[in-house]
Amino acid sequence: MATLDSLLPATSTERLRRLPLSRDQLMLLLAAFNLVLLGLETYLAHLISGTIRPREWIPILFGPAGGIVLLIAGVIALRRRNEATLLATIVLVASIVVGLLGTYFHVVRGSLPSAPMFDRISINLLVWAPPVVGPLVFSLVGLWGISAAFVEEPVNSGRLRLWGNRHLQLPYSKTRAYLFMASLGTLATVFSSVFDHARSGFDDPRLWIPTVIGVFATVVAAGLATVKEPGRWDVAVYVFAMVLMLLVGLLGVYYHVRADLTGESVIIPERFLRGAPFLAPMLFSNLGLFGLIALVSPREEV
Amino acid sequence: MNSADSENPARPARLLIAGLVAIIILLGLVLLALAIGDSLVAGEAEAGEVDALAESDNECVTCHRRTTTGIVAQYGRSTMAAAEILCEACHEVPADYPGAIEHEGTFVLNTPSTEMCEECHTQEVAQFYQSRHALPAYVAYAGADDLPPELVDQYAGIPEAQVDPDALKRRNALHAIEGEAITRFACEDCHNIGLPHEDGSVGQCQKCHIRHEFSLEQARKPETCNHCHIGPDHPQWEIYQESYHGIAYMTGGDDWHWEAEAGTLTVEDFPAPTCATCHMSGFGATGTTHDVGDRLAWYLFAPISSRRPSWQDNVVRMQAVCQECHNVEFIDTFYADADLATEAVNERVRQSDEMVAPIAAQINAEPFDEPIDFVYFELWHHWGRTAKFGAWMNGPDYTQWHGIYELLADLEELEEMVGEYESEAGLAGGD
Repeated sequence: MATLDSLLPATSTERLRRLPLSRDQLMLLLAAFNLVLLGLETYLAHLISGTIRPREWIPILFGPAGGIVLLIAGVIALRRRNEATLLATIVLVASIVVGLLGTYFHVVRGSLPSAPMFDRISINLLVWAPPVVGPLVFSLVGLWGISAAFVEEPVNSGRLRLWGNRHLQLPYSKTRAYLFMASLGTLATVFSSVFDHARSGFDDPRLWIPTVIGVFATVVAAGLATVKEPGRWDVAVYVFAMVLMLLVGLLGVYYHVRADLTGESVIIPERFLRGAPFLAPMLFSNLGLFGLIALVSPREEV
Repeated sequence: MNSADSENPARPARLLIAGLVAIIILLGLVLLALAIGDSLVAGEAEAGEVDALAESDNECVTCHRRTTTGIVAQYGRSTMAAAEILCEACHEVPADYPGAIEHEGTFVLNTPSTEMCEECHTQEVAQFYQSRHALPAYVAYAGADDLPPELVDQYAGIPEAQVDPDALKRRNALHAIEGEAITRFACEDCHNIGLPHEDGSVGQCQKCHIRHEFSLEQARKPETCNHCHIGPDHPQWEIYQESYHGIAYMTGGDDWHWEAEAGTLTVEDFPAPTCATCHMSGFGATGTTHDVGDRLAWYLFAPISSRRPSWQDNVVRMQAVCQECHNVEFIDTFYADADLATEAVNERVRQSDEMVAPIAAQINAEPFDEPIDFVYFELWHHWGRTAKFGAWMNGPDYTQWHGIYELLADLEELEEMVGEYESEAGLAGGD
């Protein structure tokens, strides 16, 4: 199975194994962190219209609340694994639902249901609509969180231990599932950035950077997930792609902040709210980090 | 590397190759899309707007499509209709709502009040309430006597009410003389931008956001302001046309980004400003406002202009707009010079006040009933204001021939008239 072990010298591998947190715990921690940040980002995005409607508060409130509950579940898991898993699963399923609901609302907001049949939805409408792919990040976080919440035994078998003696056999191992998620998440992020950047007509060549790197990372992650016996080179290219994703995210934050600052480099909150979303590029870094964590060797858990 | 890797030389780099191939395919698709897109651009631009209500079965829409076709057609192309804001959201009210009228089994307001706009545009309405466009505009012709106490308090908190509170609260003398038959088509048309409603809200957003398209482009274009800010008493439209800003607009404005996201505007969207850019838009280091006095240093509308409260803050906000194109030294020099011009006009108006002081009781007995009233009024209301507006807005002809020249001519005429009054009354100083 593809892991960082195939790339790193034995001493580094051993150090990775001695990390205080397992891969699944890292994934859950990342999920909790994501939910909190998603709540903040959604708040800023929904603030643009000046008035946040009641249903727009759902993700804003759910994000931080869900993140905190996940962290609490992590603490509970040290003593009562089953109860913690149940609590985390409730939050993560809710996250999937919040994401799907958000996508539905955004698509509805971007369509013209009473317009002539062939004008009801168009690329142009989707470009100017609230980001239709954006809310799906909640669903992605829910999906990867659920994958992490259940123990896979034995490792890389795809057999998840549910409550009691019940098990669920998945078609793929957890590692492959994570890799597929990294691929799909990256693809969704690419779509989202393409729609956002289309508003400026892609006039600036720098706007193509996330598209190109995103497509590359999508294909590489999907490739690593499907290759039967990944070699060292495969893992190296994948790690390279994920590191590029990390860097693209950071570069995006820099460019977005630069665009939001005035010519005199003055910070005007309104420009940060209505201009280039300064947190959004972090989704690329987020998926890069997720993709790298996916390669940490899984270890037996109880 | 495992054994399989060594058997196939391409295998070690298979993911890299797959990723690069994907990028090449992507770039190919992009080129194809751009090529097709270019050939379609002209056609798309023509058919750019979609009627969001074309197949609506909403009762208001279906009925009004027959009775007021134009309104439904306009609204169908608005961003509000695209956001699925129904007619009922703005027009339908409970039966006991102040001003409600029965209509086809429901109750509506013919003209929605600011209360309805505030439902979604809270911040904009709050800013508007602090502005000259709100109650001060209405009180300027109707006076404050008929306002309910809460609106009197609201009015008192607006900077424009501070200049000469007692004088400003009185009903305008010309409005009374001209009569309703005229004023409904005259001063009220513009000044009703601050009209109080029966529900306690104030103002008519639709004065600038014309019904029923509520187009961002229309609201941002200076022609919208032209509806009121024109003519001898405040010829801002004419001055703007004469200014370099106006010339840039008239010669290149077709290519400006009229629909750009509010609050993020830069010189790339608007290479030169319109009225909205300087006074309202989020531009450069200044945030969006619907308080049109928020960036002004002086009460230029007053006979003798004085500084506004917190004028230094206002100047910082306005100059932050200027700085997107002009250097600080240029702006500081311009402000210093325009301040001097304002003071110079003030001095001339003071002269007129001193001139008429001896006969003030006589000429103030009845407003606008003798020629001297009109000359004394026009001196500051038309020519003094025009000279000041021209100076601040780069309209040299309006500062000169339509402003200070006319003012000087009126001063001479006024002196002569005052002399005649004093002679008739046998006052000292008369011939």
